[in-house]
Amino acid sequence: MIEARTATAGERHMVTGDYAAAWGAMVSRPQVIAAYPITPQTMIIEHLAEFLAAGKLDAEMMRVESEHSAMSAVVAAEATGVRTYTATSSQGLALMHEPLFISPPMHLPIVMSVVNRTVASPLGIWVEHNDTMPQRDTGWMQVYVEDAQEALDMVLQAYRVAENPSVELPMMIGMDAFLVSHTIESVDLISQEAADKFLPPFKPVHAYLDPERPLVVGAAAPPEYIQEVRWETDLRMRRAAEFLEETDREFGRTFGRTYGGAFETYRLEDADAALMTLGTVTSTAREVVDRLRGQGERVGLIKLRSFRPFPADRLQDATAHLKAFGVYDRAVSYGVGGPSYIEARNALYDTTTMPILGFLAGLGGRDVTPQDVELMFKKTLGAVGRGRRASGVHWIGTRGVSP
Amino acid sequence: MAAQALAVAASHDGYSAIAFPFFGAERRGAPVLAFTRFGQERLRVRTQVYEPHYVVVLDESLIDTVDVLAGLRPGGLVVVNTTRSPDRLVLSKKAKSATVDATSIALEYTKQAAVNTAMLGAFAKASGLITIEGVEAGIMEVFGRRLSKEIADRNVAAARAAYEATRLGEADSGRVYPKASKWLPTAQELPPGLATPTLETPFGRVGVGSSTSNRTGGWRVEKPILDDAKCTNCLLCWFYCPDSSIVRGPKIVEIHYDYCKGCGVCAAVCVPKAIHMEREVEEEVRA
Repeated sequence: MIEARTATAGERHMVTGDYAAAWGAMVSRPQVIAAYPITPQTMIIEHLAEFLAAGKLDAEMMRVESEHSAMSAVVAAEATGVRTYTATSSQGLALMHEPLFISPPMHLPIVMSVVNRTVASPLGIWVEHNDTMPQRDTGWMQVYVEDAQEALDMVLQAYRVAENPSVELPMMIGMDAFLVSHTIESVDLISQEAADKFLPPFKPVHAYLDPERPLVVGAAAPPEYIQEVRWETDLRMRRAAEFLEETDREFGRTFGRTYGGAFETYRLEDADAALMTLGTVTSTAREVVDRLRGQGERVGLIKLRSFRPFPADRLQDATAHLKAFGVYDRAVSYGVGGPSYIEARNALYDTTTMPILGFLAGLGGRDVTPQDVELMFKKTLGAVGRGRRASGVHWIGTRGVSP
Repeated sequence: MAAQALAVAASHDGYSAIAFPFFGAERRGAPVLAFTRFGQERLRVRTQVYEPHYVVVLDESLIDTVDVLAGLRPGGLVVVNTTRSPDRLVLSKKAKSATVDATSIALEYTKQAAVNTAMLGAFAKASGLITIEGVEAGIMEVFGRRLSKEIADRNVAAARAAYEATRLGEADSGRVYPKASKWLPTAQELPPGLATPTLETPFGRVGVGSSTSNRTGGWRVEKPILDDAKCTNCLLCWFYCPDSSIVRGPKIVEIHYDYCKGCGVCAAVCVPKAIHMEREVEEEVRA
C-alpha cells in the first residue's frame, strides 16, 4: 500500500479488517444485504447489523438460512436494480458456488467480501485461498487485499469497477482469515460524504424492476443463444482490467492512496529476480526485499491484487527485464501447482524463457515467516541463468518434503 | 480482546500498532495466543511473534506445561498473573519479571475472573512503554464499543488497580520442559487422510482417546465442593454436568476435577445445597 500523502477523508481508528470491510460496505450505501454468518466473516455481518441498528446504514438486511440463499437473494435483489452486498468464507463460499454462476452473464455487479479460510477437509478456520481460487471460472472478478485499509478501500473501488457499464461483473474481495479479518490496526474510516463523492448512486442500465418497462431476466436459453452470452461475458472480463487501473487512479486522486491497480510493484525496476505474492504475505515479503537488498541482492516484488481479470499484458511488461521469477500461492491445484503460478506461466509463455518457480506455503493457515519468504527469493535467485528447466513447484515448510 | 486493547493503547500513546489472535477451538478460560506489535516505524511483518520482548501470562497454571520464556529476547520481561512475588517465580531461565494477583482484582472490580484488562494495567506498569491513560483508552475503545460503557468502566478500574499492585523482580531459572511438546509427523508419517487410531507418541497420546490427556480442569477459577453429609444422591448434578465430572457412587456422588471447568451448574441445580463453589488458589496443582 502506498501511504496517504494528502489529508485523510475520514477519521483514523484502530479497527479489525472485518470492521473495515463492514465500514466500506456501509459507506457504499448498498440497498440490500443478505448474508449468513461463518467464522471468520461473522464480524462483518455483526458490524453491519450494528450500523443498521444505529441508523447509520439504510438497507434491507435479509436474514437467510444459508449462503446459497444469501447469494440467491442478492442476485434477485440486484436484478431489481439496487446495489447489493454480501460476505462469506470457506464452506460458505463453496455452498454459494452454484448461484455464483448466475450474476456474471446477467450483468449483475454484486460485491462480496470473502474472508479467505481453508475449505475442509481437514476442517480448519485459518487462512488458505482454496475457497476463492476454485471460483475462478464463475465469471466473478477476484481481488486480494493486504491489510484492513485495503479491505475497506477495495469495497468502494469494487462497486466502481463492477458497476462500470463496460464491465457489469460481480467482484469478490479476498481478505486473509485472522491476519486481516481479526487483526486490529489503524484505518482511515472514510466518511460518508467522501465516499459519496467517489461512488455515485447505482444506475442500472440493463436489468431493473420497472412495471413500465417489463423485462424477462434469468430466462432459460437454448444453444442458439448461450455461446454468444459466454463470449460477451468473456469480453467484459477482458475489459475489466483497464477499469481496475483507472478506478484505482481515481481513488488515489480522491483519497491520496493507490494500490497499483491489478498489481503493485515494489523495488522491481532494477531487480534480477522477483517474487509475486498475494494477500498478507506481501507485507512480510516487503520487509524481506529490503533485507536482501541490504545484502546486495537485486530482488523485487509484485503484489498481485487482481486474479480475475488476470493482468497478463501488464505482467509481461513488468517482468520483461527479470532473469528469474517466483510465484507464491496459498492454494494448490492438485497435481499442477498454485493457481496464480499457473496463470503467470501462461501469461509469460510468449514473452520470456526465464525460469518461473512456483511456491506453496502457509496452507491451512500455517504462518509464512520472513525465513520462508527469504527461501523463496534464494531459490528464485538460484534459478537465474538456468532457463525454463529450472522451473517447478516447491513446497516451502512441509515436513518430510524437500523444498 | 486484551491484545487488541493493548494495540489501541499503544496507538493512543503515539506508536503504530497491530494485534491479532491465534484462535484454536477455544472457549472462555481455554489457553489462547494473541500477539501485539507496536513501534515507532510502520509495521509490516504480519506473522505470529516468535521472539517477543514481553510475554504476558494470564494464567499461572500454563507455566506448568508451556515454556513461556521459550522465545523471549535477552533482557525481555515476563508479566504473570499470580499471587506469588516476582522473585518466587521459577521459569526456564532467569528473566526480569513482574507479578500481580489479577484474578483477585478482576473478581473485585468486574465480578468475573476475566483477567485480561487487569493484566493490561500490569503490562503498562511493568514495561513503562504504555501509559495507564493509554490502557484506559484501549479498554474504552475495545470493550466499551462491544459491551457497554459500564463494563468498560469496571475494567478500567481493574486495570488501574493492577497497575498500582504490580511488583517487579527477577524470576529464577530451574524449571525444565520437554524439548518438543507436540506430535509433528512428516507428510510420509502422517496417517492417510488424518484418520488417526490411538497412537502413543513421545509427546503423549494422539487419535482416539487423546483428549483425555488434555486436563481441561486448568481452565477453572472456582471449584465445586461437595458436602457429603448433605448429598441425597438424587443425581441431578450427575445428569446436568456438561463435562461428566460427577461420578456416581454407592451412597453419594463424587466430583472429579481433571476436566471440571468450574461452571457451577452442579451447585445451581443441587436441591439440598450440598455443593458450593470456592475460589481455587494458585498453590493447588491445576492442569
